[in-house]
Amino acid sequence: MEASNGSAASRAGDWRKYERVLLPPIRDLHRLDVYEQHGGYRSLRSVLTSGDWTPASVTDAVKASGLRGRGGAGFVTGMKWSFMPPPEPGKARYLCCNGDESEPGTFKDRQLMEYNPHLILEGMLIASFAMSITTAYLYVRGEFADWIVHMERQLEKLYEKGYVGDNILGSDFSCDIVIHKGAGAYICGEETSLMESLEGKRAYPRAKPPFPAQHGCWGMPTTINNVETLACAPLIVERGAEWFAGMGAEKHPGPVLYGISGHINRPGVYEYPTGMLIKDLIYEVAGGMRGGKKLKALVPGGASVPVLRADMIDGVTMDSDSLRKAGSMMGTAGMLVLDEDTDMVSFLRRITHFYHHETCGQCTPCREGTGWIENLVTRIDEGEGNLRDLDILLELCDQMEGRTVCALADAAAWPVRNTINRFRDEFEAKCKPAVHATGPYAMAE
Amino acid sequence: MPILTIDGVAYEYEGRAKLLQLCLNLGIELPHFCYHPAMSIPANCRQCLVEIGQPVVDRETRKPKVDESGNPVIQFFPKLMTSCSVDVTDGMVVRTHRSSELVDRAQEDNLEFLLINHPLDCPICDQAGHCPLQIQAYKYGPEGSRFEFRKVHKPKRIQLGPRVMLDAERCINCTRCTRFTDEISRSHQLSIIERGVRNYPMTPPGVVFDEPYSMNVIDICPVGALTSIDFRFQARVWECSQTPSITITNAKGSNCYYWVRDNLILNVTPRQNDQVNGYWLPDEDRQGYTVFNYDRPKGPTIDGRLASWDGAQARAAELLAGAAGEEMLFIGSAYATVEDNFLLGRLAAALGAGAPVYIPHVEEGAGDDWLVTDDKTPNAEGCRRLGIMPVDESVVRARVRSGGVKLLYVLEEDPVAAGLLTSDDLRDAVVILHHYHDTNQTLPQARVAFPAAMVVETIGTYVSQDGHAQRVRPAKAIRGINRTLAMEMNRSRQDQHGTPFDRWHNEENQVDCRPSWDILPGIATRLGHELAYRGPRYVMQELARTNPAFEGATYQAMRMRGVRLADIGAEV
Repeated sequence: MEASNGSAASRAGDWRKYERVLLPPIRDLHRLDVYEQHGGYRSLRSVLTSGDWTPASVTDAVKASGLRGRGGAGFVTGMKWSFMPPPEPGKARYLCCNGDESEPGTFKDRQLMEYNPHLILEGMLIASFAMSITTAYLYVRGEFADWIVHMERQLEKLYEKGYVGDNILGSDFSCDIVIHKGAGAYICGEETSLMESLEGKRAYPRAKPPFPAQHGCWGMPTTINNVETLACAPLIVERGAEWFAGMGAEKHPGPVLYGISGHINRPGVYEYPTGMLIKDLIYEVAGGMRGGKKLKALVPGGASVPVLRADMIDGVTMDSDSLRKAGSMMGTAGMLVLDEDTDMVSFLRRITHFYHHETCGQCTPCREGTGWIENLVTRIDEGEGNLRDLDILLELCDQMEGRTVCALADAAAWPVRNTINRFRDEFEAKCKPAVHATGPYAMAE
Repeated sequence: MPILTIDGVAYEYEGRAKLLQLCLNLGIELPHFCYHPAMSIPANCRQCLVEIGQPVVDRETRKPKVDESGNPVIQFFPKLMTSCSVDVTDGMVVRTHRSSELVDRAQEDNLEFLLINHPLDCPICDQAGHCPLQIQAYKYGPEGSRFEFRKVHKPKRIQLGPRVMLDAERCINCTRCTRFTDEISRSHQLSIIERGVRNYPMTPPGVVFDEPYSMNVIDICPVGALTSIDFRFQARVWECSQTPSITITNAKGSNCYYWVRDNLILNVTPRQNDQVNGYWLPDEDRQGYTVFNYDRPKGPTIDGRLASWDGAQARAAELLAGAAGEEMLFIGSAYATVEDNFLLGRLAAALGAGAPVYIPHVEEGAGDDWLVTDDKTPNAEGCRRLGIMPVDESVVRARVRSGGVKLLYVLEEDPVAAGLLTSDDLRDAVVILHHYHDTNQTLPQARVAFPAAMVVETIGTYVSQDGHAQRVRPAKAIRGINRTLAMEMNRSRQDQHGTPFDRWHNEENQVDCRPSWDILPGIATRLGHELAYRGPRYVMQELARTNPAFEGATYQAMRMRGVRLADIGAEV
């Protein structure tokens, strides 16, 4: 497979000359003094003290930038911010930064927390200003223990220097940041489940409506954004909405962290504009297929999104429109690259195990369906499955999707449906051969 | 009025309502599990899914869009919606399983999911016969099972507390029980633990599920996950009849059903009454039913020997004739009905005795703000409204001990056990007693004793401490024939003496007792006084007419759920 020449259908522009802004190559950027030396908190200062910005103008800039959520759903961030009702005196408002990164194949937020945590914190403050929020929570999955410790230390320094707390940088704006540890549940990445967990309750997702902007944490207006999404806010303030909107794919612009893993030579997190050709990412950025093997399949956005066969990725770029047309989704841009030796049945089995393990159990289709699906795929993987099981699996996907409180059931159904449909031969080959009845029960010839 | 269309039929409705509750009110059944009208709406069982559409409003003109035929354009939500959580709006169009194949499939699919890990316990599960999962699986569920794996196993028959048994495998995680302890009883003693398909309800570490309202979760649990330790394996529900009545453990008058098989009370469950007890009963109300079944007297006695009813009534009349009115003391009872007490008062008046008094049984501090009262009798308020006042203990003792009481007539009470009088005090007096149990401590002193019908065997009125007058119906047959009781039992139970499956007709379980409103006229007639009423209904009719404290309190007004006397103008 050859790489492209970088023009053709790529929407990422001249990506080879791209200079990183989310994860710039600056040593020790995680330390406050280094961050400040390199222009850190300048955006915040500008927003709060220059007189050039109001909460509404910050939101407008984010809207104009075209930033879309980087947590998987890809909702237009500026629009989400504008859902917050006007502030009411005495009524609390909250921001939750969703650092519960648990989508399989996704490890980009963790990079930000390790290498550029101040960008996240600055983004949280700017977002809080935009939405007149005075308490912001950073919900981090408990497994990121080291980075939580580090960020808490940095947060203390921020309080000391007046970047967080009362009258930030001498302005009228006061905001507290609280870092909250998760405790090992994928479901807490779901925004309403995150709020339940934050409130100290069992992390069952809530029915929507009402939406968090109307009825969020403790019933108060709340916005939840992904870590990477909020990290873009200081960049938009500093370099302008047009800069952001002009980078990468038209309808899904900006810098994005591609988390590439699997059977490639150089797995890792790579920052480039959106709209990169998948082929460029695999063969140029990630060093090509390991051992010179052929590409078999690619899951472009984390385990929940539909898998693409190698013959489906020609000319496909990493942005939501292109991926949707190709039959998948942008998700978290966590790319799982699978080579020709991959057993797709075994791959799907591991994914179904994940959803079975992570379902919260609140609603019937997901609680029961994910386990049944894992049982069926496992049985096929072990050579004991029947052809009929494939039909049942596809029906179960229909029985789960769209019928539940949250989207975990959908996320569990999509890989099953698409992996079976797109690699049907492999699944059939692993099933037991169909047995035809003989004697009086045989079908007439 | 706003209009809602369900399966092509238009319904007018008033006010705000959730779609499921409105459908249930209209008699349109929609399957559901987790919804309960008294608690929050979690919408987690996903059984009540329906197709919902709303009229499209043009964003510019703000007017409803119409199509060529002039009908409003309806836009259906892209996904099926849970009817329990959706607010009904004007012009809403709903398709249930009756008119939508998608919804029909969704009902079936959801039940399939519920059944895959549900244990095949029906043959040994108490819930069988009144199990919403059974019923809805039968009506809307899949044909057979295609699940070929090992079901998830969880703890079985765990005592959550002294009265409630948990079978975690049967649980469908509807969270009704945890919501009850969080929202209704506020004990917070139940929570769901574990994650995913390993979920089940449990108490927090170190906590026992012993709150005084714990047994309510048994009724609201839609499967056999939470069952009564006491009632476990006692009877199948289809073998039992249920009679609507009230509990008599205290003065709240909580409404209940008495479950009877073979003429024994086997279980007590709540009956909905929004004015009295809502959907709930305290555990103490449910536990007291053994008093109806055991230690009951064998029959009327004269001087301790079994006698006939005629003989006993004649002897009682003789004894009454032999004393002067001023030398008689009549003791009424806050355990007895208004009708019983009223007739006692009439007899006392006819004989020239003073008005009866009653013995209060009040335990200070025993009650709570809800369904448990300090007063442990069901009809103290009824007595007071009849002019039967709490006994002045010192006065009565003085009277009795000084020999001023030659004859003591006790209605459905036990003055010795109550500590009012000692057996010694009564040695020289003539005692005529109506009693419930042969363990009655006054019984050894009684010259004539009549077994009296208890609340489950009689028809009568009780007035709660809130002034709510309710009348009860017989659940348990007495041995003799009483036309009034028999006719009422025909109406209040599924058939004459039990369900078609109550195959036991054991005379032993029929107590040879009679309601006091039947005993007293028999005695009065022999003394030349008429207490003739055609039945307790007519007693209340007269009371409603003549006693301002009971104005309007007829059986017709009381119907099934009683009537608040203050609301119908009865003066206190």
